[in-house]
Amino acid sequence: MQPTSHRADGVPAPLQVALKQVSKRFGQTAALSDVSLQGVGGSIHAITGENGAGKSTLMKLLAGVYRPDSGSLSLNGRDLHLASPAQARAAGISTVFQELALAPNLSAAESLALGREPARFGLLKHRAMHDAAAAVLSQVGLQLDSHRLCGSLSIAEQQLLEIAKGIAADAHIFIFDEPTAALNRAETDRLEQLIKALAAQGKLIFYISHRLEEIFRFCDTVTILKDGQLVCTKPITELTRDSLINLTVGRQIQSLFPPRSNTVAVTPALEVRQLQLYPDKPAVRFTLRRGEIVGIAGMEGQGQRELMRTLAGEHRSVHKDVWHSSTPGSASPLAQDGSSQATVRRGLALIPEDRKGEGLYLSMPVQDNLMLGLLRRLGLTRRAPRDTALLQQLMQRMQLRGAAGVAVGALSGGNQQKVMLGRWLASGADTLLIEQPTRGVDVGAKYEIYQLLREYVAQGGAVLTVSGDLLELIGLCDRILVMRQGEIVAQIDAADATEEKLIALALQDLPATSSPIAEEALN
Amino acid sequence: MSTPTWRVRQPALTRSGLTLYNMGLPLLLLTLLSLALPDFRQLQNAQNFTGQLATPVLAALGQLFVALVAGIDLSVGSVVSLAGCIIATQPDALSGICLALLMGGLVGLINGCGVAYARVHPLVMTLSTATFLQGLAYLILPIPGGQIAAPLVQLANGNMLGLPYAVLWCAAAVLAVATLLYHSRIGLHLFATGGNPHSAYLNGVSVARMVVLAYVLCSLMAVVAGIYLTARVSAADPTMGASIALESVAAVALGGISLTGGIGSVSGVVLGAVSLGLMANGLNLFGVSPFFQGVLTGLLLLTAVSLQRRRHIGL
Repeated sequence: MQPTSHRADGVPAPLQVALKQVSKRFGQTAALSDVSLQGVGGSIHAITGENGAGKSTLMKLLAGVYRPDSGSLSLNGRDLHLASPAQARAAGISTVFQELALAPNLSAAESLALGREPARFGLLKHRAMHDAAAAVLSQVGLQLDSHRLCGSLSIAEQQLLEIAKGIAADAHIFIFDEPTAALNRAETDRLEQLIKALAAQGKLIFYISHRLEEIFRFCDTVTILKDGQLVCTKPITELTRDSLINLTVGRQIQSLFPPRSNTVAVTPALEVRQLQLYPDKPAVRFTLRRGEIVGIAGMEGQGQRELMRTLAGEHRSVHKDVWHSSTPGSASPLAQDGSSQATVRRGLALIPEDRKGEGLYLSMPVQDNLMLGLLRRLGLTRRAPRDTALLQQLMQRMQLRGAAGVAVGALSGGNQQKVMLGRWLASGADTLLIEQPTRGVDVGAKYEIYQLLREYVAQGGAVLTVSGDLLELIGLCDRILVMRQGEIVAQIDAADATEEKLIALALQDLPATSSPIAEEALN
Repeated sequence: MSTPTWRVRQPALTRSGLTLYNMGLPLLLLTLLSLALPDFRQLQNAQNFTGQLATPVLAALGQLFVALVAGIDLSVGSVVSLAGCIIATQPDALSGICLALLMGGLVGLINGCGVAYARVHPLVMTLSTATFLQGLAYLILPIPGGQIAAPLVQLANGNMLGLPYAVLWCAAAVLAVATLLYHSRIGLHLFATGGNPHSAYLNGVSVARMVVLAYVLCSLMAVVAGIYLTARVSAADPTMGASIALESVAAVALGGISLTGGIGSVSGVVLGAVSLGLMANGLNLFGVSPFFQGVLTGLLLLTAVSLQRRRHIGL
């Protein structure tokens, strides 16, 4: 690859960036406290930790999105004050945000140039813009018409475009925030090559990820965060897989999950005899039994959401032959076009992944959110019960700290998730469909949620859950189904499952990206 | 999310928002009217038509800026009326025009700041200014009338070799707006702001300033529309712009411009305004009652908009 600028040449001292004892609070929660970090040019530096550990917040300080409440940033020994993302960019810091920051209505060239367009008297130089875009796109190995609108690009292309933006802006620090969350294996390989090529040019790369495999493959240094605090920064050579996990979680993982039940589940709760989600795909078949938690694994967007939503009666399916039984022997089929109301009435409840948008009434107090579950059992004309004893009991069971009258929006993610779960437990639902049971939930609350789910199935409930967190599936579930391209391709006992096994099953034969990246452009 | 090959692909995305409906509708109306109505084909009618068309085109071009940043400006009508009243009550045309433009800039600034900084919903913000300005127009010129300088009147009503000046007014405005939108940094920043404000911000676009600018440009275009209308009828009326606010929004919607921002084109605005104008002109010639015209225009708008809107992602 060509050196991107004259700057890369002739500067002997490697680039150095440091964060000194930075802290950042959001309202009640301390997202970061007293974190110090140093990065050196040429290094691929992983920032890892659990959800909510403060990884993204830390990087957003460097990206100019947030300003630290205390502490300081410095670049090559000089203090760095970033009041806006534009200033960070001007300082040579380029960020590929997790929520990709491209305007869908701008062309690739316009996106690359945005904020520093070539212009004379305020009038754009279109030709120069597209020429510059073509040059930088070929540098990252993205074969793309620079007139194409960003909204029509695949996630992988958008990510490469973001990287190209950094190169075009002559950045020397690149921040990647969970870049592979939506990439398949082939795309991940290309990203790896590109990142390594950047590092070889003396650029500093911060790589935020919680995927162990990638950290060991890509990175040379690892910084581990936990609950907003720095655990340690170590060269990768001093870490093993297990020691990294233990440092991240801070306790043995085994203890995070309650023990599985010993009794063999036999009574079916949900028999998916034949459920065709896509016209050109074979039907999905499986049985969920009372007393068990079944997980669905797979890469993002392989039909897991469609499966859950179809079972919940929100989506229509091509063909649906699903039997649900509340008590043994009472099985009856779900209606072909069952509405979600009908499904809920049967005792089949969906706990959606977007709890703020779909699950909770954020401005309403905890008690009302919980009571909605009880209301399901009453007629329209009955008044809401002001039965505080029942409510107290429920809150106690949910270990919901904080008053019943607090608006749900003010609670932490973990407590919100518990309110949502509590609502459906109160409704008497006998089967729960749970999308991402603990996304954005702190470790303590995770543990409580796992406990609650285990108790729930021990009392005769059944849980079907989708999660992007493989360790969670392995620890929490009894069985795991693997979905790929809209089909269930494998089923394994969670006790025998490993992350590697699940990933291998989930990835097999997945198609590569639609616009292949030229390998030779990377050298 | 990766786009697995087995998933149905989204239709191609465009930034203009133009579809066959937007382009076909005016052509269809034009063909139908010229076949059905001999009167429609008269040169007299063509001149009359362009004269009537200029005001909504000018106002809708302004509305385009606001729509691109996902806003709506309902004060356009009152600005047109007030501009007319200012010109009619000023002793000479030049001071009237300057004062009117100043008023427009100020109104846009207030609307824009209210929306961008005070976070008032555009509907509420501009409806408030609309009401305020309407009152002001009544205060300045309680009864219709006033004196309009002859050269100004000539500038709106004359024609050059049979080409009505109205067309020149529109052409100049289209050229100016198109240059600004497609060939300037400001234009790109407006599109970016409407397409994804967060992304625009991350890339160093001053999003709030762009929103303010859109409202200022919109009000200034409304003033131009007001100047033209006053000159054309050579008198002012405190309610002369009343219908223009909704007309400009309708033209924008008919032209395929997304009211959620980021998608739209100058040609779309012109096509939308022409469709609306042809509809009104044709119904007039058919002798349809003005009340029933309203009913039909509403139906046309609803049909056209529901045919196209969902084609865009996120709408």
